[in-house]
Amino acid sequence: MPAVGTSKENNGLLSIRNIHKSFGINQVLKGIRMELGEGEVLSLIGGNGAGKSTLMKIIMGIYQPDEGSIFINGQEVHLTRPSVALAHGIYMVPQEPMLFPNMTVEENIVIGFEDKPAELHKRLVQQMEEVGWHMDLNRKASSLSIAEQQLVEIVRGLLRQAKILILDEPTSALTFDEAESLFKCVNDLRAKGIGIIYITHRLTEVFEISTSVAIMRDGIITLSGQVSEFTKEALVKGLLPADSDKEKENKEEAAHTIDYSSEPVLELRDFSGFGFNHISLKLYPGEILGVAGVVGAGRTELATTIFGRDKVLGGSVILDGKDITGLSTKKVMEAGLNYVPEDRHLHGLFKIADVAVNTTSALLSEKVMGKFLLNRKKEKEVTQKYIDDFRIKVTGQSQLTGSLSGGNQQKIVIGRSLSTSPKVVILDEPTRGIDAGARGDVYAIIHQLRKQGVSILLISSDMEEIVELSDRVVSVFQGRINGEFQKEEINQDTLMAAAFDVKTRKEVGA
Amino acid sequence: MNYIKKLTKAREASSLLFLIVLFIIVGCINTNFLAPSSIAACFNDSVVFTLLAVGMAFAIFIGEIDVSVGANLGFTASVVGSLLRDGHNWLFCFAVGILIGAVIGLINGWGVAVLNIPSLIFTLGTNGVLRGLIYVYTDGAWVENLPASFTAFASKPLIGDLTVFYTVAILSVIAIHILLTRTKKGKYFIAVGDNVNGAVLVGIPTTQTKITAYVLCGIFAAIASILYASRIGFITAIAGNGYEMKAIAACVIGGISLSGGLGSVIGASIGAVIMSSVSRILVFMGFSSDYDNTITGVMLITIVVLDALMQRHAAERIRRERLRARAASASGNEGGEGHE
Amino acid sequence: MNKLKKNLLNWETFLLGILIMEFIVFGAKNPKFLMPRVLLASVNDFIAICFIALFVTFVMITGGIDIQAASIVGLTSIIIGVGWQDGGMNIWTAAILAIVAAAVCGALSGFFIAYCGVQAMVVTLGGSFLYAGFALLVSNISATEAYQGISGFPDDFKIISKFKLFDVIPSQLLAFGVLIVLAYILLHKTKYGRSIFLVGINQEAAEYSGINTRLVILSTYVLSAVSAALAGIMLTSYLGTAKSDLGANLTLNIITAVVLGGTLSTGGKGSVIGTALASLVIGILRFGLPLCFKVNTQYLDIPVGILLLVVVIGRSVISRPETAALFKKLKKES
Repeated sequence: MPAVGTSKENNGLLSIRNIHKSFGINQVLKGIRMELGEGEVLSLIGGNGAGKSTLMKIIMGIYQPDEGSIFINGQEVHLTRPSVALAHGIYMVPQEPMLFPNMTVEENIVIGFEDKPAELHKRLVQQMEEVGWHMDLNRKASSLSIAEQQLVEIVRGLLRQAKILILDEPTSALTFDEAESLFKCVNDLRAKGIGIIYITHRLTEVFEISTSVAIMRDGIITLSGQVSEFTKEALVKGLLPADSDKEKENKEEAAHTIDYSSEPVLELRDFSGFGFNHISLKLYPGEILGVAGVVGAGRTELATTIFGRDKVLGGSVILDGKDITGLSTKKVMEAGLNYVPEDRHLHGLFKIADVAVNTTSALLSEKVMGKFLLNRKKEKEVTQKYIDDFRIKVTGQSQLTGSLSGGNQQKIVIGRSLSTSPKVVILDEPTRGIDAGARGDVYAIIHQLRKQGVSILLISSDMEEIVELSDRVVSVFQGRINGEFQKEEINQDTLMAAAFDVKTRKEVGA
Repeated sequence: MNYIKKLTKAREASSLLFLIVLFIIVGCINTNFLAPSSIAACFNDSVVFTLLAVGMAFAIFIGEIDVSVGANLGFTASVVGSLLRDGHNWLFCFAVGILIGAVIGLINGWGVAVLNIPSLIFTLGTNGVLRGLIYVYTDGAWVENLPASFTAFASKPLIGDLTVFYTVAILSVIAIHILLTRTKKGKYFIAVGDNVNGAVLVGIPTTQTKITAYVLCGIFAAIASILYASRIGFITAIAGNGYEMKAIAACVIGGISLSGGLGSVIGASIGAVIMSSVSRILVFMGFSSDYDNTITGVMLITIVVLDALMQRHAAERIRRERLRARAASASGNEGGEGHE
Repeated sequence: MNKLKKNLLNWETFLLGILIMEFIVFGAKNPKFLMPRVLLASVNDFIAICFIALFVTFVMITGGIDIQAASIVGLTSIIIGVGWQDGGMNIWTAAILAIVAAAVCGALSGFFIAYCGVQAMVVTLGGSFLYAGFALLVSNISATEAYQGISGFPDDFKIISKFKLFDVIPSQLLAFGVLIVLAYILLHKTKYGRSIFLVGINQEAAEYSGINTRLVILSTYVLSAVSAALAGIMLTSYLGTAKSDLGANLTLNIITAVVLGGTLSTGGKGSVIGTALASLVIGILRFGLPLCFKVNTQYLDIPVGILLLVVVIGRSVISRPETAALFKKLKKES
């Protein structure tokens, strides 16, 4: 059944009216309205902290709204518990699949059902055939790839005869092929009349699979409608805060020339590790080298292995003439390389510590912070320098970083990695999940660094970002470098093609 | 992948193997140990630990811990013992004991599941209070002169040299095991310990499940206390002191993972037999039973360290395989995967 | 840091308030309580809690827990006794040997926790069996029966617990003071102390900051074991007897002192001053209740247990969003 054109008002599968939710004094949702019809794929876009996950948790019955009501098929429902939401045919596939690692695939799918095991097994096999997935049901969940785990989650939802499926950034951990098969699955489900809420950060996906779109910012829906009504530019605009235009102004930088005849400051020679193979590249003084590719291409593994967090399998890393292959993180930092991690919550921030503690944590092993006793004066000095330089919005050095916005948190993590005065900085997705204003600030910081002669390896899945910042780009596909682009060759189309390794892309598209 | 499956499946099997090998080795050194009555004694003597360990297993399944079971046993035994001594109806006495155990479990479950207090700290607190309450209740005096018919029960054999107590206990363990693995709600405990957020999403009532686990843990401690009273015949103010540690050790030795979500009550009961046989084995091997604590400690640490290393190794291997697979597909025929 | 400090200060002031209240209540009930001789002598009964809690705080800030320290007290005590009496060592050599042995025990457990990734609770649980077992085995070397304990130590060993500054302040209190200063500087003023906090808040992030987190974690267990050894020496000197089961049953008190002192049981937050005050609160409680209210000493685990429960329950209730919302509502209405 072709469902693309169905009107969203008439067959309201799910209707959300005026939902408010606060945590303590923190107002997260400020009157959300949302409609979802049968066979509709609603893309929900919004930055971190916009309130998407809170809204989804309310729909799943994990949180209770302070105000407002939810209707399913025109009936008002009170989703007091996840089991109630499940009974109403709502199922959420969380961003990080939440399987039981010690159980088998089958146990994972059928847990929570009342029916007889034998009958459940029959239904499960049927369901798997219907969607056309073949998977050993007796495998332990801990042995599945992320994509497989996501499929298991979806089957879980289908077996529960979910009419409303929530997919929370499902492609963020998937390879290109895996994402393609997921899209296929979404299309099949839509054809079956299932309503899907599709949360994503990627605008291309919005146009690829959804029928309607809603943008959430700061606890309200700022923009919504049929996908056909929008262009990518309009969506970007809807995502940006109203006053963000001025940030664009200082974008243009004076021409910057790099001396490619000089000695490279960082050189990888046939470098291999878990997730990448035979990487060779050179980074020159004052250069920004973009590392393009899709999530899962092996770029983060490359960076963390250089940084001494994982085992080196072959090749060498030369920093300023010194072999730093396989050194510990501390030694790598001392040698003059630092890394801004991709996941700032997991690897970057000390949330219940203050700004000063966070900013100076990488300096701790250096003499400047004192021999044995902590040099508080130096700590204050360093922290203040970065607060001023990076325009970090804090109430003071003693504010806890957990209470800062994503952008300010990211600036602190960047500040920390610069505090060790590195010659080379690896930035891994430096603007992921931060708002447009902070993004502009981070770009300004990167430009400033280059001026100071710091060399930067910029890992990003945001092609716009790579294009805007890089002097030269290498693209990484499935763990190896598959292309190199000089300044004049850099544009989004070529990079995107390289990131998806053109040949493969063409064939999939055909 | 089969390897991991086998490994985890074999968790309690390897405990059983360990038990058998241990008995055979000791038997080789001193053949008297292998006499049926001696072997039976190993099992019979473990009955209190078996029940405590099975109760503890519920707390550990959900990824928590309960260090108040020893004090729970001491307190409940004092109350039940004194009621029995005063000639009350047996069933009434047992009911009171089980009720006390359930209430203690309920309080622990409330603190851990509702208030989200780290279980070790909360149950350490209830442990202290209960220990004190034993003194308040008994005034530090021993509870003695339990009815002879009650204490005689402890040594009543049922099958061969196995006592009624042990036979019933082990049959109950098997029944519980079947309930836990075959019923819908039975799997909840393991599920909550395996991945609590995932459990929420599939509609498992996690708070209730956690509280239930603690209540069951308390009830098992209470039943254990009744058997304890019957077996020992008197209850001192320090009854059950340190038993919580031995119950935890029994679970670990029986292959239950302390991170939750892995293991079985069968394993716990095997672990309890190994635990409580240590001092007996020492005697048969001609050592002083002073080695008891040392051996328990060595056993406990060795098992958890090996387990942690193996789990870490397995997780690391899976991660690396996954990364390798991602990178490796590029070195093969590049066009190959696109043909659809 | 200021806000954090303010919070801790508040909590520390609160503890100080409780301590003062204890003095007032106990003093009013039985004036004997306030006699310096009686009061200061009481310190012997709980000094071990004070010593050990200070450094278990370090462990708990890293997110771990240490329930083996109590068994190390007995181990050091018996090593001193056996080393001196049966090994023919100088008493001080024996004491140093005991400290080294304790440090090795702590390092062993710390190694398993930090480098093998085993939960601290289980390892130190196993450790409490193991080291208590060692203590028993060491006592078996001795010619003296275990239950009697080894006594008859030279006077210069006894002096470390009998010495009184200005004839009033007992050496235990002096030693406690020194340890507080040491622990305070170490935890709050040094780079090492900072790394302990960082490890406790986010071990991964600490790794990415170039901190050798495993070594930091291991070191905290060594420190707590050494503090247990010091407590063992002090107790042995005071009692004049070396016994293998000295210090058993201290675990509840130690953990209560650390948690009551404001240390977050999930790690990352805590203070030496808080722990010091909290151990005094517990110590005075254990001393005052029997003296002034005729509470049987065997009942003392009840108030300590209740104290622990009240603190953790209270904190949990206060930190709930519902409570915050309630406060907000109340504020609005008033």
